[in-house]
Amino acid sequence: MSPTGSEPPRMNRKKGDKGFESPRPYKLTHQVVCINNINFQRKSVVGFVELTVFPTVTNLNRIKLNSKQCRIYRVRVNDLEAAFIYNDPTLEVCHSESKQRNLNYFSNAYAAAVSAVDPDAGNGELCIKVPSELWKHVDELKVLKIHINFSLDQPKGGLHFVVPSVEGSMAERGAHVFSCGYQNSTRFWFPCVDSYSELCTWKLEFTVDAAMVAVSSGDLVETVYTHDMRKKTFHYMLSIPTAASNISLAIGPFEILVDPYMHEVTHFCLPQLLPLLKHTTSYLHEVFEFYEEILTCRYPYSCFKTVFIDEAYVEVAAYASMSIFSTNLLHSAMIIDETPLTRRCLAQALAQQFFGCFISRMSWSDEWVLKGISGYIYGLWMKKTFGVNEYRHWIKEELDKIVAYELKTGGVLLHPIFGGGKEKDNPASHLHFSIKHPHTLSWEYYTMFQCKAHLVMRLIENRISMEFMLQVFNKLLSLASTASSQKFQSHMWSQMLVSTSGFLKSISNVSGKDIQPLIKQWVDQSGVVKFYGSFAFNRKRNVLELEIKQDYTSPGTQKYVGPLKVTVQELDGSFNHTLQIEENSLKHDIPCHSKSRRNKKKKIPLLNGEEADMDLSAMDADSPLLWIRIDPDMAVLRKVEFEQADFMWQYQLRYERDVVAQQESILALEKFPTPASRLALTDILEQEQCFYRVRMAACFCLAKIANSMVSTWTGPPAMKSLFTRMFCCKTCPNIVRTNNFLSFQSYFLQKTMPVAMALLRDVHNLCPKEVLTFVLDLIKYNDNRKNKFSDNYYRAEMIDALANSVTPAVSVNNEVRTLDNLNPDVRLILEEITRFLNMEKLLPSYRHTITVSCLRAIRVLQKNGHVPSDPALFKSYAEYGHFVDIRIAALEAVVDYTKVDRSYEELQWLLNMIQNDPVPYVRHKILNMLTKNPPFTKNTESPLCNEALVDQLWKLMNSGTSHDWRLRCGAVDLYFTLFGLSRPSCLPLPELGLVLNLKEKKAVLNPTIIPEAVSGSQEASSNPGSHIHLAGFQNPFSSSQDEEEVDMDTVHDSQAFISHHLSMLERPSTPGLPKFRPASARSALLPPRAPGFEGTPTPTLKPPWALDLARKGAGKEQVPLEMSAHPATAAPLSALSKESPSKHSEHHHHHHHEHRRKKKKHKHKHKHKHKHDSREKGKEPFAFSSPASGRSVRSPSLSD
Amino acid sequence: MADTASTAGAGGSGTRSGSKQSTNPADNYYLARRRTLQVVVSSLLTEAGFESAEKASVETLTEMLQSYISEIGRSAKSYCEHTARTQPTLSDIVVTLVEMGFNVDTLPAYAKRSQRMVITAPPVTNQPVTPKALTAGQNRPHPPHIPSHFPEFPDPHTYIKTPTYREPVSDYQVLREKAASQRRDVERALTRFMAKTGETQSLFKDDISTFPLIAARPFTIPYLTALLPSELEMQQMEETDSSEQDEQPDMENLALHISTDESGAEKENTSVLHQNPSLAGSRNGEETVIDNPYLRPVKKPKIRRKK
Repeated sequence: MSPTGSEPPRMNRKKGDKGFESPRPYKLTHQVVCINNINFQRKSVVGFVELTVFPTVTNLNRIKLNSKQCRIYRVRVNDLEAAFIYNDPTLEVCHSESKQRNLNYFSNAYAAAVSAVDPDAGNGELCIKVPSELWKHVDELKVLKIHINFSLDQPKGGLHFVVPSVEGSMAERGAHVFSCGYQNSTRFWFPCVDSYSELCTWKLEFTVDAAMVAVSSGDLVETVYTHDMRKKTFHYMLSIPTAASNISLAIGPFEILVDPYMHEVTHFCLPQLLPLLKHTTSYLHEVFEFYEEILTCRYPYSCFKTVFIDEAYVEVAAYASMSIFSTNLLHSAMIIDETPLTRRCLAQALAQQFFGCFISRMSWSDEWVLKGISGYIYGLWMKKTFGVNEYRHWIKEELDKIVAYELKTGGVLLHPIFGGGKEKDNPASHLHFSIKHPHTLSWEYYTMFQCKAHLVMRLIENRISMEFMLQVFNKLLSLASTASSQKFQSHMWSQMLVSTSGFLKSISNVSGKDIQPLIKQWVDQSGVVKFYGSFAFNRKRNVLELEIKQDYTSPGTQKYVGPLKVTVQELDGSFNHTLQIEENSLKHDIPCHSKSRRNKKKKIPLLNGEEADMDLSAMDADSPLLWIRIDPDMAVLRKVEFEQADFMWQYQLRYERDVVAQQESILALEKFPTPASRLALTDILEQEQCFYRVRMAACFCLAKIANSMVSTWTGPPAMKSLFTRMFCCKTCPNIVRTNNFLSFQSYFLQKTMPVAMALLRDVHNLCPKEVLTFVLDLIKYNDNRKNKFSDNYYRAEMIDALANSVTPAVSVNNEVRTLDNLNPDVRLILEEITRFLNMEKLLPSYRHTITVSCLRAIRVLQKNGHVPSDPALFKSYAEYGHFVDIRIAALEAVVDYTKVDRSYEELQWLLNMIQNDPVPYVRHKILNMLTKNPPFTKNTESPLCNEALVDQLWKLMNSGTSHDWRLRCGAVDLYFTLFGLSRPSCLPLPELGLVLNLKEKKAVLNPTIIPEAVSGSQEASSNPGSHIHLAGFQNPFSSSQDEEEVDMDTVHDSQAFISHHLSMLERPSTPGLPKFRPASARSALLPPRAPGFEGTPTPTLKPPWALDLARKGAGKEQVPLEMSAHPATAAPLSALSKESPSKHSEHHHHHHHEHRRKKKKHKHKHKHKHKHDSREKGKEPFAFSSPASGRSVRSPSLSD
Repeated sequence: MADTASTAGAGGSGTRSGSKQSTNPADNYYLARRRTLQVVVSSLLTEAGFESAEKASVETLTEMLQSYISEIGRSAKSYCEHTARTQPTLSDIVVTLVEMGFNVDTLPAYAKRSQRMVITAPPVTNQPVTPKALTAGQNRPHPPHIPSHFPEFPDPHTYIKTPTYREPVSDYQVLREKAASQRRDVERALTRFMAKTGETQSLFKDDISTFPLIAARPFTIPYLTALLPSELEMQQMEETDSSEQDEQPDMENLALHISTDESGAEKENTSVLHQNPSLAGSRNGEETVIDNPYLRPVKKPKIRRKK
């Protein structure tokens, strides 16, 4: 960063600012990360980091870094011991003494907590005091080296250990560990500046078992054995300035594959999977070529690594010069369905290497540019690889998704700008979370955010042409690569950061076009456009009178003003018109080119220049209009509801060449169940030139139409004869041909048709017997012996078809479902499911697709009352140790059961799994599924909705999920779905709560409060590090932090407490209190930066472990102790609270401070909170690994 | 041959020790057989041109012959039992002889040799009374190399075969039907068996046997079975058996879509990898030259680096 002199760092960067202003009073230039011990058995990591930092202000006395979970042993600055404070308000967002249970309150508090440690605002959990000896040094702006020793024990987030419990060494067991997380989560595994905007060069060292490989960002310089030859040290150098958030690590007994086409690319997978890895990655070089070609820029890093790991956090995670993938993406050449999906993942990961890793962002509000560009070039790759149809289909799909999401939740804002003081006009007030930070975002919102970002990039492309677009990207990349090669000019590195304004400036420089209106509409503003269109043909004037209305009052919508393209297909050809959508004009007159002339038989020219013969008999005799399309190029983020006659939709389906138009017409035809629609759909189905996805959609539409016209339907069930003709033997039409999936289009159609057919219903609303027999025959005669490909997905879809055929059971008086009254059709279905499910145990299929389908089918049978509803089977499949797809399918069934049967027990079981399951993805997914399919909602009454559940969920999001942003946001989503923004209705009236808060004596009487009333001495010991402060750290903080004045006494109370705690356990805590006094008094007298530190750093290295263990035990014993103390608590407690208010350590929340000031009397409430912590601790080992506990051991009082 | 002789010796000694209690009828049979064998050995010696032989050498040869024949019997019995029969067939004997290193092809010629001696039938004390059976047709006379005292051929109807031909099932529909039901039966039987022998789960509380589900058992490494399913291994094995059969000519859809693109890409890849040995070869050659840091040898620790 250019030295800003004495100018204080500014936190809010204004749009249009030229360069990047660091929020920090220093510039990080280089960081060393050394992990010298990784213990898979204990799941622990020991290491150190060293940050090279140049102060940019003269009076720099505090350095804030990010660190979570890590236990920090010692910090040295230029070899001098430095004091530090660790304070992480996100561990517990709202203090538990607060009986507030409304989400609004929580969201605000959570956003404030995240802000308080947000590196983009110059904050951090770890605050290091620069030793006074160095102050002069700092004033000269000379380099500081910050050396931090840390360890990590049983991390719950950030680093994920996978340790299968089998025999053998860790390498033989396939144990591995990898970094993971949502957005900037590197702070979970080593102390750093966890911001995408603080770039530096890196040296990374990992010492691992000799049988393991450590893969990390940058170039592997060398691998060296340790002296005992049992371990190896991997030395990595990353000379391209990179943000800590883009650093990653994967360690495991990986098999290594050097890419045969690009030797600098290396692939890694878990043992035994090498053949799959070879096949899966054999395509990657083409993706490389594609991106390098369109960006006219070489891949920025000197190497690239792909690592495929188990229990992945996300399918694809891109980091500097490496990507971590889920091992479940690997597949062999026999698998059809997974191939395009995996290739997409590879391409996505690679796109993010350019934009996201190499080019990083200035701030969170610039994220959309990176996601947009990487998503956009990924789209270009899709177009090239899978064709224009697939691409357009994908764009349409994404557009539909974002439109549906925005209309549902009220808008996704790409570029939020937060005005300085105007906190009130929150740009996202419609949401139940803050969009100010990535870590407060709902996962679904973030997914949609990415989706919108790339769609908007496409809109920009529409405006300025692809050529210019690519030039802009090239410009960004070349600027960045020039900057990255400036090894010793770190102020240049900010060129590697992209900002919204910089990006827009590039666009205007390159293209000379003003895209401000577009940006204003889609980037600076949330919402999509909702058009309603209808038309009339005026024969006299030969004019098409088009009426286009907008709904811009519903949530998630916005008003559109500007050009709108309309394509009109007339008899004489296709004509594009650009309408100007203005404030008050609804009607648009479009002159028609052709007179209606149906007698003249002539070919009709289409938009793409083709000419088509059409049977025009269906047309309106007076009108020359065949069909009309509004915004055919999807140049607006919109939803169009357009009214035109059924025959027009049918013409559009048959003759319009654009797949999007075809899909739109298929959707519209659902409302026109006529023989003509049927014919149009059947024709499409048979037409082999037609895009396969359109044909698949036509299947389902045909099924719906057939059901609507069930009374007039003639002939065999829909699609049956078609399927027979396409896929069955000529001689025996009831037998399907032996599988041959060489033609993928036919394969997809063959898979889909039976699934759609099974949705057919007869007049009694039952699936026709003929259809069921047909599907059963398909299963029976399925023969894959001569096929080159696996048929597991096909068979799975056949089971889906069986499930689709199930209709609700006719039930007499809620009789119990037994085998005897089982419907004979269902018996046949069950027979198949049983056989399939059992065969899976003996001959499993790829990714267990068949088990997944069977589980879903069983749930359908249960739900329809054919089989007794019972979650036991699903619960057994949901256990850890099953393949993740199976688990998710089983959990989905349990979630559904919980909802349908309103089962409290199952809900508890799920919640327990959310807290304890070893796989982060599964935990996330359960929350996600519960949110999507909630057992009850805020608007419905349910016996499940009770106070205990509220407390449980509150605790989950408040403190139980502090190790995983995504999980916490998932819990917030669930809470919102269940209880809404305000106080849950099932809670007792809030007045009662107020009474509790005001009247101390009564509080004691209240059963919910009593257990929390404990002595103040315990709180600090057990508090997971939210306010352990160090002696000698009394330098005033910046003015904003004056409120957080450190209270030394309490701190030392707590530290002394730890030392005394073990021996004090049996005794009631209050009487012991006086003993603490001397210790704390003494330590308070110690000079800043306790001198004892320098002499005795090493002995403390061991104690933390021992103490930690001891305290674990202590934590458990604490509970009964406190319980027994209750009856007698009231008096001593009040005495204590009178005595100690001033000593009580302050908390970090501003709102909390206000709260405190108002009610000075009730200081003891804080104790409730800490008490609460300590109780939680017994359940949550995480709390013990907090760095603060490690820190406190080194307290001066101990070293005495 | 040496082998059999030694084992025969051992066997012989065993029997000899048993012959001490000569009252046993089994021993009488043994002695009678032994006598016959001696005659056989003697006649063979005569045939070979010997005029006289020492008793000890005749005894040794007898011993050898006996053990050789015993071995044929024992071995043939094993072969026959191995194929789950109780009666040895000719093929058992043939296999035995082959196994013992005897060239079976030479046997017929040896049997028909001109200068062979025929041993007279052993004296039969009292002819067993064979019940008169209904004779049908003409019994075949003995061929010249079979002594006349050997039993007569049985009635022709007992061994004459009349081959009948039934059209093999070639109807496609029936075949498919058969294959399908066969597979289904096997699968059902197998899964039922597995379900019977292991833990099960059931969808109905009142009935656990109609639809038994093999209980779900978690794996220690679940992704391995999911990504390397044994099903595919089986299929791959079968595929190597049934060689390439691209009989489907309707691959005309080379149009626009994803799949063609993809299959194209796939084919390219595979063709590059498999059908282009020159490239593969050059790659192999290069392999030694590939400079990838992960392939480099691990360095020995430097001395100065002290821990």
